[in-house]
Amino acid sequence: MSSRMGGLMLALVFLFLIGPFLIIIAAGMSAGETLAFPPQGLSLRWFWAVFEVESFRASFVLSIGLAVGATLLALVLGVPVAYALARYPLPGGEAMSTLLTSPVIVPAIIVGLALLRYVVIPLDLGIIPALFVAHTALLVPYAVRVVSASLANLRSDIEEAAVLLGANRLQAFFLTVLPNIRNGILAAFILGFVTSFNQVPVSLFLTGPGVSTLPIQMLWYMEFTYDPSIAALSALLALMSMAIVLVAERFLGLSRYV
Amino acid sequence: MSDAAFLDLAGLSLGYDGRPAVEALDLSIKEGELVALLGPSGCGKTTTMRAVAGLLQPMGGRITLGGRDITRVPANRRNIGLVFQSYALFPHLSVFENVAFGLRRQRTPKDEIERRVAEAVAMVGLTGFEKRLPKELSGGQQQRVALARAVVVRPRLLLLDEPLSNLDARLRLEMRTELRRLQRELGITMVYVTHDQEEALALADRIVVMRDGKIEQMGPPEAIYETPATDFVARFVGFENVFQVKDGQLRAGNGAALPLQAPVDGGTAWLAWRPHAVELGQGPYEGQVLGTSYLGQSVEYLIESTVGPIKAEAPAALPRHEAGRTVAFGLPPATAAAIPR
Amino acid sequence: MFTSRTTGLMLVLPAVVFITVGFLAPVLILLAQSLRLEDGWGIGNYLAFMNDGLGREVFWRTIKLAALVTLAAAVIGYVAAWAIVETRPERRGVLVGMVILPLMISPVARTYAWLVILGRTGFLNVLITNLGLSEEPLRLLFTETAVFIGLLQLFLPLMIISLVSALENLPRDVVPAAQTLGAGWIATFFKVILPLTREGLVIGGTLVFTGSVTAYITPAVLGGSKVLMLETLLYQRVSVANDFASASVIAAILMVTTLAANRLLRRLATPRRR
Repeated sequence: MSSRMGGLMLALVFLFLIGPFLIIIAAGMSAGETLAFPPQGLSLRWFWAVFEVESFRASFVLSIGLAVGATLLALVLGVPVAYALARYPLPGGEAMSTLLTSPVIVPAIIVGLALLRYVVIPLDLGIIPALFVAHTALLVPYAVRVVSASLANLRSDIEEAAVLLGANRLQAFFLTVLPNIRNGILAAFILGFVTSFNQVPVSLFLTGPGVSTLPIQMLWYMEFTYDPSIAALSALLALMSMAIVLVAERFLGLSRYV
Repeated sequence: MSDAAFLDLAGLSLGYDGRPAVEALDLSIKEGELVALLGPSGCGKTTTMRAVAGLLQPMGGRITLGGRDITRVPANRRNIGLVFQSYALFPHLSVFENVAFGLRRQRTPKDEIERRVAEAVAMVGLTGFEKRLPKELSGGQQQRVALARAVVVRPRLLLLDEPLSNLDARLRLEMRTELRRLQRELGITMVYVTHDQEEALALADRIVVMRDGKIEQMGPPEAIYETPATDFVARFVGFENVFQVKDGQLRAGNGAALPLQAPVDGGTAWLAWRPHAVELGQGPYEGQVLGTSYLGQSVEYLIESTVGPIKAEAPAALPRHEAGRTVAFGLPPATAAAIPR
Repeated sequence: MFTSRTTGLMLVLPAVVFITVGFLAPVLILLAQSLRLEDGWGIGNYLAFMNDGLGREVFWRTIKLAALVTLAAAVIGYVAAWAIVETRPERRGVLVGMVILPLMISPVARTYAWLVILGRTGFLNVLITNLGLSEEPLRLLFTETAVFIGLLQLFLPLMIISLVSALENLPRDVVPAAQTLGAGWIATFFKVILPLTREGLVIGGTLVFTGSVTAYITPAVLGGSKVLMLETLLYQRVSVANDFASASVIAAILMVTTLAANRLLRRLATPRRR
C-alpha cells in the first residue's frame, strides 16, 4: 500500500469518525424551527435556547454532580485496591481481581435493572443514591486500572525509605506514593467523569419523573421534538469533551491510560 | 570504640512466606565499627540487613541495639539509616526536600532544618544542587543525596545495601574513599552489604562472609584474605585453585587426584592457591595451556590438567607459554592457604 | 511488615463490599430470576422467549449486526491502523488522539449526528433529491443499515487503537522481509501481519462485538421500534409491558453472550503450537 493511498484511506476514516460532529454543529446553528441540514439560515439561537429549558438545566446539574461524586467515590475505593494489588500478596488474588473488575464485563443495562428491582424498590431507596451506587460500581474497575498503571512505574522502596526516616505507613503513602501517582489519579478522574457523564444504559431504569441525567433527558426530548436544540446541545457537549480531552492530553498524556 | 556489643543479633531466623532465608544467625557489632556482610546473591545478607532495619519481621531470635531489644520496634522508630541499592530517592522532591524529609518527620525547627540540610549537602559535596530533582542528577550525585538523607538524621546505625553497585568503576573507587572518610568523621556504626570482595576488603574493619543464610567466616580483612576458614570463603576471595586433601593426594571435584608435592599437616582438609602462587614452568605436574590473558603487570594462564582447569599467573617479563603447549607446573603447599576443615 | 496479608485485605475490603452489595448481588439475583417459573424453577422462560417470534428475531439480529460491525471494524481498522503506524511518530500521537477523541464524546450526541444525516430532511436525502437521484426522500432511518452505521462509528475507534498498538509492536522489517521473499500484499497480510497482530485484533474485536451486542442508544435512536436489538427490547419489556420475567431472560442472554464472546475470542487470541 502506497503512503498516498494510506493517507486517503485515513482521511476517509476520519471523515466518518469526526465529520458527523461538524454536521451537528452546523445543524445546531440553524435559524429555522425544524432540524435540517444544510441549516436554514445561520443563527446561534438554539445554542441559547438550550440553556432556557429547565429540564436540561436540572439534568445537566445532576449529571455533573453524579459524575464528580461517583468518580470520587470510585477513586476512594479503587486507589487502595490498586495499591494493594501492587504491593501486597492478596488472598485469592485472581478471584479478587475478577470480582473487582466484574462491573466492566456485565452489560450496564442489567446493572440498572437489577438495582431497580432488588435494591431501589425493596429498600425504598431514592433515585439519586441509586444512580450514585450504580455509577460508582461501574467506575471502580477504571479507577483500579488507571491507577495501577501509574503505580507500576513507581518503585516500592521509596516507601521503605520514608518509613526508615520516621514516617508511619500512612504518612509514607501520602508523602511519597500519592504525589508520584497524582497524574494517574487525575487521568482516572477525567476518564471516570467522562464515562459517568456519558453513561446511558445504567441510568435508564434508575431515572424517573423529574429526576434524569442529561443524556437520558436528551433521548426523551428527541423522541418528541424535532427542533435543532438537541443538535445544539450535542454540539456543546462534543465541544466540552474535546476541551477536556485536549487539556488532559496536554498535561497528563491521557491517551496512555485509555 | 567500646568493646561491648552495640548491635547484637542473637539466634536470628528470617524468611519470606515461611521459607527460611537465614537460620539462627549470631552476630555482634561494636560501636563505631564498619562491618561488611559479604556473600553471593541469595546468601541472606540483604535479608539480614532488612531485618535490622525493621523492614522484615524475624521468625525467631532477637535484635539488640545499644542494649535495648528492638526486635518488635517498628521501623520508623528505630532511627536506623539505610542507603538503598537503587537510592530510593523521592522522585517528586528536590535534593533539599529529600534530605530534609527525616528532619521534618522529627518536627525539627525550620532554621535547624536549613542548617543541618546545608551541612549534610556540603558534606557530600553537593552544595548548589539543593533545588534539583533526583532525575536531574547523575548516578553518583544521586548516591550522595541518598547518603546525606540517611545521615542527616544522625542515625544510631547506618546500613548500606550494595550502595556502589550502580556506579561505574571510577566513581565506585571515589565513593569508597568518601564513605570511609565519612565514617571516620561521623564515627557512625555501619553495616555494609556487598557481593564485591574487593569493596569489602578496602572498606571494612571486619568482614562477615555469608553463605546460604549462615555465617561462613568472620574476621578482619587480612584474616579473610589470607587465611580463609572454608573452601567456599577461599574461592570467594580469589583462591582460584582449591583442592581437597586426602591420603596424601590433592583431589579435584571430578574425582581425579594428584600426589601432594610435599607433606602437609595432618589437620589440613583443603589447600588453596591464588593464581600467582602456582609455580609455572617447573614442578611435578603437567598440563596444556588453554588460553592466556595479558593483564599488564602479569599474564594469566588457564591450564587444563588431570585435576581440571588450573589458573596461574606469572610476571609479564617472563617468557610466555603459548596456548596449546604443554607446560610443567607445581602446587607447593608452602604457598597455599591451608584450610583445616 | 511489607508483606502483611491483613493490610492487603483491609485495603481491598471496602471496594469488595461495595461491589458485592451494590452490584454483584443484585445482578446475580436478577440472573437467577430468569430461571424462576410460576411453579418452581426451570428454563421455561428461555423457551418462551425463543419460541416467541420477536424474541428470536431480535436475538439473531443483534448477533448478526454485532458480527457485521466487528468484521467491518476489523477491515477498516487494519487499513486505518496501518496508515497511522506508517506516519512519523510525532504525527502518530496526534492521529491516535483524533481516534480517541470521539470515544470521549457523549454517545447520544454521536448517534444524534446520524439522525441529522439520515433523517427525512437530513443531509443525505437533501443531497439525493437535489441531485435528482430520487423524487421522494428515501427511508434511511429506522433500518438495520442505519443501526449498523451508527454502531460502526461508535466502536471503530476501539478497534483502531487496539490494532495500532499491535502493529507498533510488530517486529521491525518483517513486512519488507516477507516481500523480499516474494510474498504479495495479500499473502503478507494473512501469513505475517495477521498472525503477529492476532492478540490486538481479538482485544479490539471483543470490545467492538460486546459493545455492539449491549448497545442501547444506537438502536433506540436509529432503529426505533422497527429495528429492535436485545437492549431496546429489554427496555420495552420492562417499561411498556412490565414483563420482568422475559426482561430477566434477556438480561441473562446478554450476559451469557458477552461472556461467551469474551471466552471464545480469548481462546482465538492464544496461538496454538504446531
